[in-house]
Amino acid sequence: MLAHIVRRILVTIPVMGFVALFVFSLLYIAPGDPAAVIAGDQASPEDVEKIRISLGLDRPFLARFGEWSWLILQGDLGTSMFTGMPVMTLIGQRLEPTLSLMAVTLVLSVVVAVPMGVAAAWKAGTWLDRSLMGFAVLGFSVPVFVVGYVLAYVFALELDWFPVQGYTPLSRGLGPWLQNLVLPSIALGCVYIALIARITRASMLEVLQQDYIRTARAKGMAQGGILFVHALKNAAVPIVTVIGIGIALLIGGAVVTESVFAIPGLGRLTVDAILRRDYPLIQGIVLLFSFVYVLVNLAVDLVYTMLDPRIRY
Amino acid sequence: MPDVLPPVKVRRGLSGFIYRNPAIAFGAALLILMLLIALLAPLLATVDPTALAPAQRTRNPSWQHWFGTDMMGRDIYSRVLYGTRVSLAVGFSVAILASLAGLAVGLVSGFVRWADGILMRVMDGMMSIPPILLAITLMALTRGSVGNVIAAISIAEFPRVARLVRGVVLSLREQPYVDAAVAAGTRAPVIILRHILPNTLAPMTVQATYVCASAMIVESILSFIGAGTPPIIPSWGNIMAEGRALWQVKPFIVFFPAVFLSLTVLAVNMLGDGLRDLLDPRMAKRL
Repeated sequence: MLAHIVRRILVTIPVMGFVALFVFSLLYIAPGDPAAVIAGDQASPEDVEKIRISLGLDRPFLARFGEWSWLILQGDLGTSMFTGMPVMTLIGQRLEPTLSLMAVTLVLSVVVAVPMGVAAAWKAGTWLDRSLMGFAVLGFSVPVFVVGYVLAYVFALELDWFPVQGYTPLSRGLGPWLQNLVLPSIALGCVYIALIARITRASMLEVLQQDYIRTARAKGMAQGGILFVHALKNAAVPIVTVIGIGIALLIGGAVVTESVFAIPGLGRLTVDAILRRDYPLIQGIVLLFSFVYVLVNLAVDLVYTMLDPRIRY
Repeated sequence: MPDVLPPVKVRRGLSGFIYRNPAIAFGAALLILMLLIALLAPLLATVDPTALAPAQRTRNPSWQHWFGTDMMGRDIYSRVLYGTRVSLAVGFSVAILASLAGLAVGLVSGFVRWADGILMRVMDGMMSIPPILLAITLMALTRGSVGNVIAAISIAEFPRVARLVRGVVLSLREQPYVDAAVAAGTRAPVIILRHILPNTLAPMTVQATYVCASAMIVESILSFIGAGTPPIIPSWGNIMAEGRALWQVKPFIVFFPAVFLSLTVLAVNMLGDGLRDLLDPRMAKRL
């Protein structure tokens, strides 16, 4: 068991190394001269040269990559080209809103999606199942910013139930913090809810056909107990997997949601970095998000054995 | 004795197909409608989508401007129609490119043992970067153009196709008919072409529709945040990006392209779900 955990952790190191190498080498394999693209059309040749040197494009690839990786291992993601501040500091300033948004969305999505999927599987083939799965297809199809604008228009502008935009730090109290996050979380959660609900339904359908479910029914166990104790626990592995994989949707969606709701988080920082073509900052954010994603899925893998003791390595 | 079972009416032909596969029929019909809009945009549009009319800025929808006008007085109805071209072009191109690249990598990976480990680690690495972020990163390094948007999204999407194809190839390799072909002395390229490839097409087609839907959403997101199609080209994401500053007072600027985008993506998704149920009945029962 311990050996497996150690091995699994060791396997993620080359993946992270590859991600770093990939994000780094994009600068070198991009078509054209990235320094000229980053500098923009109005830049003088001196400006382009300055950017080339600050990106290290004037030095050999391997030497530069070694140096860069060494700094990352020490927690130094480089310096933003636009603000001149360390990328780490910029990211640190924006971390709280994004983490809050993602945490609230995650909780909300799981709380809504899992019962949805269970209900759809329990009533498979009925109108309830069809309408829930119809909603899931809609959730996949309506882009996050569209949901965001509709929610903001109806519930903030027209009904005035929630603030239209902005973010209140957690330090100002749980109520105001949550109030600002409700609409963005629903918008961001739509795709995620659709994904989790679909997998929950599929996984539950399979489990509900098992003999032990019939046994539980035969001995007169209550329906709720069968569904949520016997069945859901055995259906949990695919559900937990998809919750982990879906984090990628949350990360991508956060970039857009934060723009719609004017939340000063990492997503906004990414958009600003893109518009200014601040490559070191983009690099830093992408690396950070990817590492988080890899670590979340590592954690999911390790949770498997807890959910299903039959899984042995 | 009365008939216990009334005779079952068997529907044949196109109407039967539509009756049995409502999702495919609905998705395909909607998608064909969008295709027609894209092709006939110059005929359907009331004015030039890029024509500026500063005197008629942000007009509400009216008989003259069905969907209203934007901040520069451009007719949103005409712009939305032309936007169909960008979205469909990006969606279809990415679906084709990502499928071809994924097929190539997946086939090699599934068939060449020594390459499998390396290729799949590379795919794992690429998949651990969230697709939208990867596309954003690529766009930051190139100039904004429809071609670059297609390339960036294809690179972000193809590792998933490669994984799928590899999985299918690995299971097909164990089939008795492949063993038989090997025993009969068939050369590897012929086995791949004749026995493996045709069997990967069904799951690939389904996957391609999902890639297409996702590509259209990513394109609109890239344009929306200003890292996609150049602002001069009317794409749905661009129209929404322009309407962003005014959405509280003039919500229709964002609303109309949003409806078109959502409907098109819904059509592609329903087509994908329908195809999945049709091509793989075993999966249909599960999902």
